[in-house]
Amino acid sequence: MAAGATTTSHVVPGIPANVPQPPEELQRVPLVANYHGFAWISDRVASLTEGPAPIWWWVCFIPSFLALCMLGAMLTYQISTGVGVWGNMKPVMWAWDIVNFVWWIGIGHAGTLISAILFLLRQRWRTAVNRAAEAMTIFAVMCAGIYPALHVGRAWYDWWLFPIPTSNSIWPQFRSPLMWDVFAVSTYFTVSVLFWYMGLIPDLAVFRDRAKSRVRQFLYGLGALGWTGSNRHWSNYEKAYLLLAGLSTPLVLSVHSIVSLDFAVSQLPGWHTTIFPPYFVAGAIFSGFGMVLTLLIPLRSMFKLQDIITMRHIDIMCKVTLATGSIVGYAYGMEFFIAWYSGNPAERFHFLNRALGPYQWGWIMMVSCNVLVPQFFWFKKLRQNLLVVFIISILVNVGMWFERFVIIVIGLHRDFIPSSWGYYRPTFVDICTYIGTFGLFFTCFLLFIRFLPMIAISEVKGVTPQSDPHHPMGGAKKVEVVPDED
Amino acid sequence: MKTTILPTQSERNAQPGASSESIPAHWVALEQNSQAQTGRNYWRSLEELEGTPEFREWVEREFPAGASELSDPVNRRHFMKLMSASFMLAGIGLGTSGCRRPVQNLEPFGKMPENYVHGVPQFFATAMPTQTGAVPLVAKSSDGRPTKLEGNGLLNPDKKSGTDCYAQASILNLYDPDRTRQFAYKGNNTTAEKALEFLGELGKNAEKNQGQGLAFLIERGTSPSRLRLQKIISDKLPQARWFVHDPVDLDIHRRAATAAFGKSLKPFYAFDEADIIVSLDSDFIGSEDDATSNIVGFAKRRQVEKTDDKLNRLYVAESLMTITGFNADHRLRVPSSQVAQVAAGLANQIGKTGISCLENLAQAQGLDAKWIAECARDLAANPGRSLVLAGHRQPMAVHLLANAMNAALGNVGKTVLLLETPPSKEGTIADLAQALTGNQVSTLVILGGNPAYTAPADVDFARAVRKNDKITVVRLGYYEDETFPISDWHLPAAHYLESWGDALTADGTLVPVQPLIAPLFGGLTELEVLARIAGQKITDPYAIVRETFAGTLKGADAEAAWRKFLHDGFLANSAPKGVQARIDTAAIGKALGEIKVATPSKDKLEVVFHRDYKLDDGRFNNNGWMQELPDPVTKITWDNVILISRKTSEDLGVTNRELVTLELNGASVTGPIWVQPGQADNSVGVALGYGRTKPGRVGNKVGFNVYPLRKAAAANFATGATIRGTGKSYKISCTQNHWSLEGRNIVRETNLEEFRKKPDFAKHMVEKEPEGAGPLYPNPLDDLKKKGLHQWGMSIDLNKCVGCSACVLACQSENNIPIVGKEMVGRGREMHWLRIDRYYAGPGKMTHFPRENSEDKKTFESWIDNPQTVMQPMLCQHCEAAPCENVCPVNATSHDQEGLNVMTYNRCVGTRYCSNNCPYKVRRFNFFDYNKRPIDKLKLGPFATRRDDEWDLLKMSKNPDVTVRMRGVMEKCTFCLQRIEQAKIAQKTKAGASGDVIVPTDSFTTACAQACPADAIVFGNIKDPDSRVSKLKQLERDYSVLEFLLTKPRLTYLARVRNPNPAMPDYQAEPYTFQDYENRERKSGGEEPETPSHEKNGKKGEA
Repeated sequence: MAAGATTTSHVVPGIPANVPQPPEELQRVPLVANYHGFAWISDRVASLTEGPAPIWWWVCFIPSFLALCMLGAMLTYQISTGVGVWGNMKPVMWAWDIVNFVWWIGIGHAGTLISAILFLLRQRWRTAVNRAAEAMTIFAVMCAGIYPALHVGRAWYDWWLFPIPTSNSIWPQFRSPLMWDVFAVSTYFTVSVLFWYMGLIPDLAVFRDRAKSRVRQFLYGLGALGWTGSNRHWSNYEKAYLLLAGLSTPLVLSVHSIVSLDFAVSQLPGWHTTIFPPYFVAGAIFSGFGMVLTLLIPLRSMFKLQDIITMRHIDIMCKVTLATGSIVGYAYGMEFFIAWYSGNPAERFHFLNRALGPYQWGWIMMVSCNVLVPQFFWFKKLRQNLLVVFIISILVNVGMWFERFVIIVIGLHRDFIPSSWGYYRPTFVDICTYIGTFGLFFTCFLLFIRFLPMIAISEVKGVTPQSDPHHPMGGAKKVEVVPDED
Repeated sequence: MKTTILPTQSERNAQPGASSESIPAHWVALEQNSQAQTGRNYWRSLEELEGTPEFREWVEREFPAGASELSDPVNRRHFMKLMSASFMLAGIGLGTSGCRRPVQNLEPFGKMPENYVHGVPQFFATAMPTQTGAVPLVAKSSDGRPTKLEGNGLLNPDKKSGTDCYAQASILNLYDPDRTRQFAYKGNNTTAEKALEFLGELGKNAEKNQGQGLAFLIERGTSPSRLRLQKIISDKLPQARWFVHDPVDLDIHRRAATAAFGKSLKPFYAFDEADIIVSLDSDFIGSEDDATSNIVGFAKRRQVEKTDDKLNRLYVAESLMTITGFNADHRLRVPSSQVAQVAAGLANQIGKTGISCLENLAQAQGLDAKWIAECARDLAANPGRSLVLAGHRQPMAVHLLANAMNAALGNVGKTVLLLETPPSKEGTIADLAQALTGNQVSTLVILGGNPAYTAPADVDFARAVRKNDKITVVRLGYYEDETFPISDWHLPAAHYLESWGDALTADGTLVPVQPLIAPLFGGLTELEVLARIAGQKITDPYAIVRETFAGTLKGADAEAAWRKFLHDGFLANSAPKGVQARIDTAAIGKALGEIKVATPSKDKLEVVFHRDYKLDDGRFNNNGWMQELPDPVTKITWDNVILISRKTSEDLGVTNRELVTLELNGASVTGPIWVQPGQADNSVGVALGYGRTKPGRVGNKVGFNVYPLRKAAAANFATGATIRGTGKSYKISCTQNHWSLEGRNIVRETNLEEFRKKPDFAKHMVEKEPEGAGPLYPNPLDDLKKKGLHQWGMSIDLNKCVGCSACVLACQSENNIPIVGKEMVGRGREMHWLRIDRYYAGPGKMTHFPRENSEDKKTFESWIDNPQTVMQPMLCQHCEAAPCENVCPVNATSHDQEGLNVMTYNRCVGTRYCSNNCPYKVRRFNFFDYNKRPIDKLKLGPFATRRDDEWDLLKMSKNPDVTVRMRGVMEKCTFCLQRIEQAKIAQKTKAGASGDVIVPTDSFTTACAQACPADAIVFGNIKDPDSRVSKLKQLERDYSVLEFLLTKPRLTYLARVRNPNPAMPDYQAEPYTFQDYENRERKSGGEEPETPSHEKNGKKGEA
């Protein structure tokens, strides 16, 4: 495997003039198209963060940042004035706050799934998308974390949820799923950040070595932790990476399982269901891939990364979306079946109320976006049409938002005692806070693509044909290179 | 610390060549001044006295750190003073609260009163005077301020003594920040001395011409002292005229009895003696006066413990849906103007009344003749055990017929007691207006009330008063309200908890009105004003009341009797005995001849003006508890509405919540439509007391005023109104939007006959639960229970609960529950720990999700015309396996060993998960700082503060035994934990070393149970087999709500038993809710035919 940064800026990336045919067992579409060299990869990725930012970046960044400021204002207002500024009410004590929490945390699933589970499963295509997906995970979990931390009535006492027995001689209530949430989400976030940073180290070293200013050199050098690319470094790195991947894998499954227990452990019809953990995980991966597609489809063309994030990558991700979407659809059907089969009148009423009650529109949105829309991915032609994929990926997330809305709000608004039934409506503060979390997410993401390698440089090099010693292009063979036009 | 503002003394001294001349004159002045301010000076030595440089030097050497301050006029303290003053000034500029520090007077006892322990509340007997009676009360005084009112249990030891909503809420009026606080003359503040002097002169001047031109406008009342003073004034000033005005005329019962029996009598109804009760538009459970004692009697006869217990049976014929209608076994929906026909029909069927010409009147169109006939037969079958009541809104003829029927049925002296009462000769407000316009009045004294707002529209009282500038208007008022601008002299009135007085209860028992606190704002009482005008030497209300009392009591040991009177809160055996009287049929026949029966139609609607369950005639308009109390019928808060039936709304093409214009005889008002199940067709109900033009902070912009529609001649109902829709929708904050039980078994009821066959029917109405369902782990409480000395529990008898809502307010008062305002209630954020759920049921088949204009929807809607109603007080069930507890991440809600689900406010972070997981939805969350912020500025957060005066009074109204919760925490019913703890502590103190620390059986109870006049709520120790609650829980009607969730509630309900008459046309073999439940069961059974598990579960229920 090639070491970090060896290219210099004056070398023009190019395509080999005559590519020898590889042996039959290696004849599949290469993961990096057009037989680019190592130098081209480093150069392509690193150049994204060098030089002035493109105008579109500013166009995206400024509104994102303003939205972030709005988030700050909204949360300040909420904390200083009371949860009442949101639309939460009796009986719908949880509404957009928890809907958005679960939604964001669901989005935060794809990154670690791609980087950890697919790594363990030797899915080499993951290399092109894992870095951005992991960053997305971290930022999404940050957005998610805001809600449980600040939706409470007295956010300044949040620390009571942590098991610090010496503070006031009271342990938290370990039987509460919210307690488990605290552990699950914070562990997931910590491990995801560690994992992400681990992977960044060799690439930060590339940036350090390419840096022209002292500041960049110093800061990237700080991040690169003295990486030299020695064999020993690589050996330790790969071991650590594997271990972290192993550690993250159960977390991918546990976080959303535990989030689902917030509902499943309660006795509310529509919440109290054993199907929730697997169904939530599938839904999370579904929405996570939807978000990855939403982010990468524009980025690959803006940053001209079509050769690294190829149509094959997009095709695979569409298939994952289709598969998980179908699992979700199955779960929806199964919920109705069990409601009927159980003979529990409260459960039956709840599901009828879902489909026919006052929030019917929410249920229709959920089913159409999550079950019907992904079925288009059965067709290869549509999977290859970037516009279609982009729209569907957005609809997937709209649908997943409605899934959480359906579960939480419809579950709460009509339960056992009809006198307490109510109808929930959000306030502008709810809406602005939600928009504000997008501000946080996109601000972070835009800063990420501007200052950090959004493609795992070293890993992508590892999946090029020439890094395979058995490939005709691999090893230390000489290949004639024709200079590119640009 | 040295300042550079001025050189210090030592610096000055150190200056070379400094002489006394070189020191500016103002420094010297400053120095002298500072000495002058500190008073007498002491000096340590002659050197100090002289202030020699040597001495100063010595001092500085000895105390180098602070020496220079010794004589420096600008010393450290001075500097701090200056700086803090300037910071305060800066604070004003920033608009912070720095400059608004309230003046606080700390007044410790110079001498500790006897038997007073700081922090331990004291209880005093008093009474709330009402128009035709009084509510005997015991007031709790916490450190000198009244904080809670309870019924006086001594008065009727064998009966339950509850209170009504008005009494519970009246304590908040005492602390109303919008109360008038100043004496005023022509709108400007004046002193009490001047005002009192004026009153004295007024009396003296009136004496010169025997009171010619002097008029009094009073409210109805039963005070013997006032009657005595009235007599004194009448004797002294025979030309003075008296007028009485009450917008809700409850005196008609007295006038009717007087007319019917030809003697000055007033009726008292012994509900506990009546088997059959027929109400002719009489809302005796709600809006009639003295509803509390009516409920006591009525509910006593709804008690079913054994299968052979007898229940009373209630027939109601009414236009509005009232809480009396809710409790009816048979209800006839009929416009108010046709109730006379029902009365005539009944009287005709009963016969024996000796009144002719009933036939014509009884031949009514469109009335259910069979209903009337069967009802009359039932009455006739129970002579001496029945009771016919006419409501205060009905005309005299109906009252006379009711009296005639009671006389014919032999009820007089049994269920109807006739009490002798002094005759009343006062004129009406219309007479007064006539006298005013005729220039017959030069001085008008208005005692209480708000006539400028409540006077009939055609009287136009305000204009009549102000027509002539020579009229002097003296007014004793509680608010600076609509009558304030037309008064010359405004005297602030004292609250009844601030003033001495006396009153008679409905049965004529003399009760004292004992003050709990000195008048907060120096208000006067009626008695004092009258005494001053009468030129009495004694003007102190206490002395007046004592003098009256001494006159009542002849020859006995006056002092001891007086003390006992005040202690007990009533004078034993002072109630008059019922007298026998012969009915004057001729007078009745004559009155009947005058009656005109109108038939309302959709173009000539009938408008019924009704006394509001909350605001009365408007006097509770500025009472936040009352405004926020859900109306017992509509469950609407903070508004009045135009009540209309479903059919009429369809005929008129208006929809629910639509703003419409209601026009009657040229006057019109605009208000929202509310489609009320059970409302008579073509009859429109509007509540009095809203839409004030000069309200306080609370009543501001609440509802619409219907007084402009109300004429003196048709003050209770009038025909000929029209309604025009505006198409605009109006926001109504209703606390219960869903009124169907959906066939669920939450409220269980049956009919008496069925109950006798199957007394444990409630235990069969269980939900199916999966086989083998049960907790995985043992409940920790099972072990914990063994340690508990008591196990608290509650039982609510749905058969006795009449839905009066006194418990809701008692809970609010006891537990410092804040009000949240209309907008918040609209968002479902009301804070009541106890609510009364009300469900309607009808014959229609239930479909959960009717589509617009579908057949389903039509059936669904049609049954609401004649619904059956059930009510269920719902509060924390204190589940033994509470679902709220295990989901709280911080252990803020947990169980104690006595079975209480306790809430630790301090520990709560406000995740609200507990509320989500509470199947009963009884937990309440403080979405805003309801205590700290005014309700109209909740959303301003820290930028909104209460005004100091408001804040001080608000604090005074709180119960010091209960935490005032901040925002962001959950709260809920605690079973009045503070009372439990007080009882336990008291018992422990009493037990001493004996170890007998178990609280005596039923020695205390919760606020709701105490307030409940129906005795429907019983609280106690279920570990004690002798306690009432233990016994009630043994009854076969006992069931718990949602038992299939295995929450094991400590609060269980006793199922309801209706007592319908099988001969009646609207007879149902089972109540509608039961039919609904069975339909639903059958429906779910139909999908899985012959479900064996259902059978098994049924048997399990039996076991």
